[in-house]
Amino acid sequence: MQNNISKWFFLLSCAISGSVFSQTTVRGSVFTENGEPVYGAAVIVKELRTGATTNEEGFFQLNLASGGTYTLQVSYLGYEPLNKVLNLDDKKRLYVNIRLKESSNELETVQLTAKSKIQQIEALAYNVDVIDAKRLHNTTLDIGHALDRVSGIRIRESGGVGSEMNLSMNGFRGNQVKTFIDGIPMEYFGSSFQINNIPIGLAQRVEIYKGVVPVELGADALGGAINIVTTTYEKDHLDLSYSYGSFNTHRSNVNATYVSKSDFVINVNAFQNYSDNDYKVTVDAANLNTGEYYPETRLRRFHDQYHNETFIGKTGVVNKSFADELLFGITLGQNYNEEQTGARLVAVYGARHTRGNIVMPSITYKKENLFVDGLDLKLNATINLGKEKIIDTLNRTYNWFGDYKEYDSPVGELNYSNLEIQNNNGIGMLSIKYDLNEKSFLSFNDTYTTFDRERYSYLQTENRNYDQPQKTFKNVAGLSFTYETGDWNATVFAKNYNQNIEFTREIDPGGSADISYNYFERKLNEFGYGFAATYFFDDKFQFKASYEKSYRLPLPNELFGDANLIVGDTSLDPEESDNYNLGVSYWLNLGKNQLFNIDATIIYRDIDNFIRRTFAPNQSRFLTANVVGSDNLGFEAQFRYNYRNKLTANISGTYQNFRNNNPESAAYRARIPNVPFLFGNGNIAYSFNDVFKKGNNLTMEYNLLYVNGFYLNWPLFGDRDEGKLDIPDQIAHDLNFTYSTPHFQFIVECRNIFDEILYDNFSLQKPGRSFTGKIRYTL
Amino acid sequence: MKKFNLYTLLFISLSLFITSCSDDDNTPNGEAYVEPGPYIITASPQESEGVADYLLTVETLTQGRTTLVGNGIEQDGTYRYYITNNNKFFSLLYGQGDPGAVTTYEMNSSYGLDKLSNFQAETVQSFTNVDDEVLMTRISRNSANPIASWYRLDTESSTIVGEGAINTNELAPGDEQAFFTWMTQVGDKVYAPFMSVKACCNDSFGTEYPDQTWIAVYSYPDMQLEKIIEDDRISFIGRYFRSGLGVVENGDVYAFSSGVATNNTEAVSTNPSAILKINSGETEFDEDYYFNLEEVAEGYYATNQFYVENGMFLVFMEPQESKGAYTDGGRLAIVNVYNETLTWVSGTPEESEIINISVNNYIENGVAHVGITTEEGSYIYNINASSASASRGLKVEAGTITAISKLDPVE
Repeated sequence: MQNNISKWFFLLSCAISGSVFSQTTVRGSVFTENGEPVYGAAVIVKELRTGATTNEEGFFQLNLASGGTYTLQVSYLGYEPLNKVLNLDDKKRLYVNIRLKESSNELETVQLTAKSKIQQIEALAYNVDVIDAKRLHNTTLDIGHALDRVSGIRIRESGGVGSEMNLSMNGFRGNQVKTFIDGIPMEYFGSSFQINNIPIGLAQRVEIYKGVVPVELGADALGGAINIVTTTYEKDHLDLSYSYGSFNTHRSNVNATYVSKSDFVINVNAFQNYSDNDYKVTVDAANLNTGEYYPETRLRRFHDQYHNETFIGKTGVVNKSFADELLFGITLGQNYNEEQTGARLVAVYGARHTRGNIVMPSITYKKENLFVDGLDLKLNATINLGKEKIIDTLNRTYNWFGDYKEYDSPVGELNYSNLEIQNNNGIGMLSIKYDLNEKSFLSFNDTYTTFDRERYSYLQTENRNYDQPQKTFKNVAGLSFTYETGDWNATVFAKNYNQNIEFTREIDPGGSADISYNYFERKLNEFGYGFAATYFFDDKFQFKASYEKSYRLPLPNELFGDANLIVGDTSLDPEESDNYNLGVSYWLNLGKNQLFNIDATIIYRDIDNFIRRTFAPNQSRFLTANVVGSDNLGFEAQFRYNYRNKLTANISGTYQNFRNNNPESAAYRARIPNVPFLFGNGNIAYSFNDVFKKGNNLTMEYNLLYVNGFYLNWPLFGDRDEGKLDIPDQIAHDLNFTYSTPHFQFIVECRNIFDEILYDNFSLQKPGRSFTGKIRYTL
Repeated sequence: MKKFNLYTLLFISLSLFITSCSDDDNTPNGEAYVEPGPYIITASPQESEGVADYLLTVETLTQGRTTLVGNGIEQDGTYRYYITNNNKFFSLLYGQGDPGAVTTYEMNSSYGLDKLSNFQAETVQSFTNVDDEVLMTRISRNSANPIASWYRLDTESSTIVGEGAINTNELAPGDEQAFFTWMTQVGDKVYAPFMSVKACCNDSFGTEYPDQTWIAVYSYPDMQLEKIIEDDRISFIGRYFRSGLGVVENGDVYAFSSGVATNNTEAVSTNPSAILKINSGETEFDEDYYFNLEEVAEGYYATNQFYVENGMFLVFMEPQESKGAYTDGGRLAIVNVYNETLTWVSGTPEESEIINISVNNYIENGVAHVGITTEEGSYIYNINASSASASRGLKVEAGTITAISKLDPVE
């Protein structure tokens, strides 16, 4: 069992990159004797020392040179290895079915070599975590809540289903961490298609890059990136699910793929979320007339309905001579969101709401070995023509009982508004990979984004302010060189960040009739760079180190405002950070069939020019501004245990020492407020096989979330015994039971079993105990 | 390329872990920390993120120091305002247009502040003591909604006991509407000086009437309009969120104007910064009294006024070349309204060094206590009105002084 991991890493990464020089596509499925698909089985081509692993459906695909004869070695933990000889002749395509027998002699070493795609990615030199989304398909999580279970990541949300979700990773927040879907940046997709409403069922896996981001994800991510990887077009697939739960929450999801014999593909993905979000909160409810508070009253939220409906259709061809993938797609969607509160629970609304939609055509082209062997090309283009609307036109004052006083004048609850904006976001992406030789390759990515906002105010139709241009063009280009040998591999890269900002300023502010505007243009240009390297001491022990000098260019909302509560600042500078990661992974076999894995990572971030939100002087809006210096030294660890794939357990924990690093500040070296610094997650799952009937399984899963308490304001100021504002320690327990038959799954889930009050920013309360039932059908 | 070094990182990590354990002991040097006492100082940390005020209680304002580090009662929200009435201290949240919680405190015998209650109040632009009630007024700057809503807070029960609305369009000339700069109790009436504003067309606070002044006189507690006192010798009295009226011992009212009316953001007042007088019991300006401050103030105008005693006001002044509608001046003067003299205060920092000056100040025994923050730190300056001299007193570490007040301990 020499250098198995490293060997496999190399071979499998060739398989990911798909740069094996070949012509015949071998596809196949691996099953057990019972006909259950085997997930994560290793399929090795003995002669080439190349291979693949099977996915959840037991499926694999290999590209081999035509005409040869090859031996496939198929192996999986607890099963007897099997060899199958393939004679390819001139076949373009070949399909093989493989059945594995359960092993009588259970001790095998293949569990380390049979890496899933997920393990392959985690074996990369980057500080990366991968969520195996398929394991979560039985839950009712959206992608955001799935991310909440990853070490180093905290999701902060303002309420229930569909509420504003903010991601923090190693102290970075919100836009400093970029989200991608299949490599396309999501920052411009609008409110109808975001991590708070995309069901986990859409994803195959979610890759989380911390601090150092590969050039393949072409964006200006200051602190890391998340890539959601969706459907692959291997074979027909149907996945239907519906769930109903507390607070009148309905969610459904259809995911269907059709692959014709001539490799014509149709993929439809549609999902819907609906919730009244009428969970109870504990508030000081005011009497509207006397102002008297009724402290600690338990009341239901009454204006928090959310729903969204999204359809994603793609069609095209795969595995053609001119294209491995040529797909045309459209994303259509809408959402409606009632706003129950402002930034804090004291501000309660009863009519204010937002709407948004998305109309986003797209085209994807992929080809490996284009013109020459080893040259892979990927092209992607999309434009979002969706609109966002903010409606606040009723002059009412509400309290938590739902009572209101109404006044007869045109004033809103928070900010009188009936405004529609269309941002016309276009994204173009080009990705090229070229194999220099068997051990090294070059990778180039260029991502170009445009933003051209149109605004229309239904209340101030004559105001020329809304006709002024707000445009940005952004280009992020990256080039990397990767070298891979048996026991180590390394990548070096450089990135260029370029932004052009166009806007106008009033020359005579205050003048009514003869306002004129001066046109301005600003150019930003920065260079970033970094490296990532990993070394395998032996097949059990991996060491990783990576560094990036990263930049983030200001977003349109930060430059121009969001046309609602955020006032922009066109003079913002890019944020920058030096990100360091150091990690080790250790795998251990404990007797038969038991696998133990530890990952530990130290991170260090040195951040400058942070773009932060602050209050405008009159307190009714937010300003954005660059703020100097902070740094973060953090530690993350994750322990995973697996017993014959029946029992899995994992625990992860994060500590981050995120502190003010500005010597001028009165809070120099103080812990940054309102950011959790110690949190963790535990998860244990057990599967019973052949329950009631052969082939039917029952899985029980328990999940624990812990967040240590933290202060909302600088911890060093004020007397901690005199009611300093904080978020207390939080513990939430979730339980999930899944009963699976070959095609159906029945799920019962209870989240927050003990009905703890869970908080987020500024003591916004999240839902209490909730029950959900889900039924899922897969074909 | 910045070189990545494992040892550097390990060293940083070690040193950070060590410093993180020890960053709370801030060893004092210099003057001694003062004990808790009847004076209340509110201060906000000199930091941009997570700004909240802290309430400190101190035994003296004239010496020693206190700190925000590990000390003080944290206040919710970023901007707060404070008023004392009925031996209670009220902390008001200036919410984002939303109602906010007002917290009521009283002082216990060990000089700690005990929270009596929370109640909800609207975000207001004027709040003033009227006997043992607080009159709070929310004023529109939107011509589509020319309404000022007032609320009467009973300080005994800490609840709103009355409310009403004023049509501000009816008070102001032409199409403009009234924006009350502040309200002041005069006898059993409430005097409400206002500026006339367009409240529209991207020029909310602009006016076509920059050289007139008005005071609306209301009965209390029913807030019925009794009269509008007018004059054209000065521009409007007070400023946005700043009081311009001072009542002296004999009941005479002195009205300060900054002369800072604007139109389309241009300063258009031709009347100088000056003082008028209303004699006790009358509802007309005294025709014979007019004190032009700009004539005696070497090119300065008045921005804020605080009545000390015996006809002496502490006045914040600002050079005319930096005239602005929202500026709090940094040069201090004692203005004697009886003999119409102005004396510059000695002993305060140079105007150019002042980062912040508190506008909610405490006055007792002929001494005004004002918080001034410079690069060197934040200090209470104790200004003796008779001698027009200031002495530097208590230092507040790590904070910017925003308000100063005092309560009697309750047994």
